[in-house]
Amino acid sequence: MEAETIKAEMAINRSSVWKRFKKQRSAHFFVWIGLMYLFVFAYTPMFGILMAFKDYSIVTGIKGIFTSEWVGFRYFIEFYNEYKFYNIVRNTLALSFLKVVFTFPVPILFAIMLNEVKHLPFKRVVQTVSYLPHFISWVVVLGLAFTFFSSHVGLVNQVLLAWGWIEDPLPILTGSSYFWGLAVGSAMWKEAGWWAIIFLAAMAGINPALYEAAQIDGAGRLARIWHITLPGIKGTVVVVLILTIGSILGGGLVGSNFEQAYLMGNANNNDTSEIVQTYAFKVGLAQGRYSYAAAIDLVQSIISVILIFSSNYIAKRFSGSGLF
Amino acid sequence: MKQSVHVLAILSLILVLLAACSSGGNAPSERTPNNDSAIEDNGTGNEEIVELSLFINHSWYPVREWSGSIAEEITKRTGVKLNVTVAADGEQLPLMIASGDLPDMVFTVREPRLENPDMSYPWNELIEEYAPDFQLDQARVAVNTAPDGNFYTVLNAFATPEEWEQNPYALGNDGNPGIAVRQDIMDELGIASIETIDEFMAALEQVRNQYPDMVPLTMDIEWISQYFKMQFGIPPHSSWYEQNGQLKHVNTHPSMLDYYKFMNRLYRNGYILAENFTYSNDQIDDEYATTGRAFAHSHTVSVANADMAKAATQGHDLTFTMLPSTLTDEAYNLSTGTGFSGVYITKNNQNPEKSIEFLQFLASEEGKELVMFGIEGEHWNWHEDGYPEFHYDVNDAEYVNSEGLKWWYLYSDAIVEGLRGYVPGTQTTKALQEIKEITDYNPSIGMIKLQDGTNEKVIFDKIDEMVVNEEIKIYLAESEAAAEQAYQNMMRLAEDIGLNELESWATEEYQKVQELFE
Repeated sequence: MEAETIKAEMAINRSSVWKRFKKQRSAHFFVWIGLMYLFVFAYTPMFGILMAFKDYSIVTGIKGIFTSEWVGFRYFIEFYNEYKFYNIVRNTLALSFLKVVFTFPVPILFAIMLNEVKHLPFKRVVQTVSYLPHFISWVVVLGLAFTFFSSHVGLVNQVLLAWGWIEDPLPILTGSSYFWGLAVGSAMWKEAGWWAIIFLAAMAGINPALYEAAQIDGAGRLARIWHITLPGIKGTVVVVLILTIGSILGGGLVGSNFEQAYLMGNANNNDTSEIVQTYAFKVGLAQGRYSYAAAIDLVQSIISVILIFSSNYIAKRFSGSGLF
Repeated sequence: MKQSVHVLAILSLILVLLAACSSGGNAPSERTPNNDSAIEDNGTGNEEIVELSLFINHSWYPVREWSGSIAEEITKRTGVKLNVTVAADGEQLPLMIASGDLPDMVFTVREPRLENPDMSYPWNELIEEYAPDFQLDQARVAVNTAPDGNFYTVLNAFATPEEWEQNPYALGNDGNPGIAVRQDIMDELGIASIETIDEFMAALEQVRNQYPDMVPLTMDIEWISQYFKMQFGIPPHSSWYEQNGQLKHVNTHPSMLDYYKFMNRLYRNGYILAENFTYSNDQIDDEYATTGRAFAHSHTVSVANADMAKAATQGHDLTFTMLPSTLTDEAYNLSTGTGFSGVYITKNNQNPEKSIEFLQFLASEEGKELVMFGIEGEHWNWHEDGYPEFHYDVNDAEYVNSEGLKWWYLYSDAIVEGLRGYVPGTQTTKALQEIKEITDYNPSIGMIKLQDGTNEKVIFDKIDEMVVNEEIKIYLAESEAAAEQAYQNMMRLAEDIGLNELESWATEEYQKVQELFE
């Protein structure tokens, strides 16, 4: 009797699931498109990971990925034994963490400041000017950087020399000790305005009545920001933070680790500018060592996965919400 | 509303599928013979013009499209027109090889990854099938033969030692190092001439003191080391040198440390800029030189004439003079002589027959002279002594490039190219004559080929990559002791990577090649 009841309930459930599916079928189309995109462009190419464990040669084509000889962890060990291994991993992690630490709060602070501006035309001009650099390619940014920071013709060095603040030009573009600052600073300049848009949108969703009530209760500007604005955008901040940490090895919120290291990196600042991605590109692809390049990049992917799970766990622990 | 959502969803789905299908795989794409060719009447009504795509793997290449009188003349005589793409950087060709997205032809330095029958057509097979009267001498076939017994390209700028000897007017090409200095500044400073390396250093010192806004020496990013290595007796173009029958990596040369110390002194004395070593293109040094902001300019043997011509077009009245090619008694040049670049006919080629015929024309005397000298009667004539007399300034880069002279040397040889360098009375010719006098020829070294996927190739590439990053620490060291320390560190790293193993392999190969020559 009890079993029959369960069966009947299951049948009802199945039919209701099917009914719900039929009702939502147009929405499902969009989900399936997304899944297909992921399958075709994210999951299908993953068989190439096999290359990292095989002695693959490009002349054997796609078939060679399956037919070439297994070599185990040979390329991982080779990467570990590289004389630059420590530098490369250190640079990748340092550049990524520095970007998160310095570039994550800036758009939030900038958005709060803009939100407090009451003069609308000024606010609009500042907002537009601040997000325009987002549309400039890194190649052009490099050209601008040369104009500003070159030790011989750069505006910054010329001004500092003219004012007598320095005796010799600063090797901003070429010195090892300047690269991380240059990368973080230029990424901040390029992307802070763009990401401020998201936080401004979140602030626009806060009920104005809360501000009015706080003002009546005697809350000053800083108190209103602290007690209303910041809690109002907390959810957005957490989601953006998790996404940032998930892509931390690519540069996080502002991305562009590869572009910066590739374009601004040179033999002189190589000690601090070489990262896993540029090394895989240079040594792996340029020298035709695809298996080696795959192994190097796989190391980075593993670190990324660990960071995503850790950040999600930490976010859940402290804010109660996470991505999964 | 519901219907329009359905339509939108289906359209999106189709778009995604189309995007996925068009992304292509890794295998070289199969093309139908006339897939992207333009067959058209060339005006005569009886010949068709075939368009072939050519990728030039030299980002610095000054000619970027198939235009100018030489290109037009070649098209007229061969019925072939080229769609040219010049590499953006050194990584573009490896990426094209990896993706299989190759054009009809690739013009590059020797590229072992293209030397297999899956990637390129062997020339020997194409010649046998389509151009049996295309005769190649055995020396050229030998130096270009791949390990599988085929030859997939024939490099230009090659000549045997005997050919060099038989042609006194054939000098080296522009791929030889030179330094130009400002004659007007020398006159102002009362410097009559510069004949030794010490006099050169003294001149740089005077310039630094008298003209503080001027850079004493600016260097082309591709030509930083060659001139000075030559002065220290180090082969400027070769990765190897011979020592008692052994082949050694050039960085172990006995004079290498002296060379590095000298370069370091140039930096520490303020004669060169630190950022010169990191220029992202080869135009920045030209800008310094041709706008009067540098005293000396290191590039190739034609640099003085080229700088003066360029400065004149920009309205600057500057006079440059070449430093002698030999500033020391040790000055030495080694030609390992297997050539510079050649054409690979890829498996994507839509018309291999026309391609090999096109190269056959370029390889003929008529073709070589057309490309190197120009149209006979219009651009040049033979002098009674046996060298070409030009009706234009061969160093006027703007004219040469706009006409397409020289740069379509997709097949050529060092002799015809060398004859182009002989223009009596010019600074370039004088510099080339000086270099020819100190040049040894040893094609055996050039025949040492590193094959992809081999251990020695990996070691060689790693050492190469390491040297790029480490030698700059020597150049820019804060003291001579620090420079020496950086050099020792670089050599220690090279040994850790496998320098000794590499040299043993190279010596073994070298001995085999020498036996072949004998």
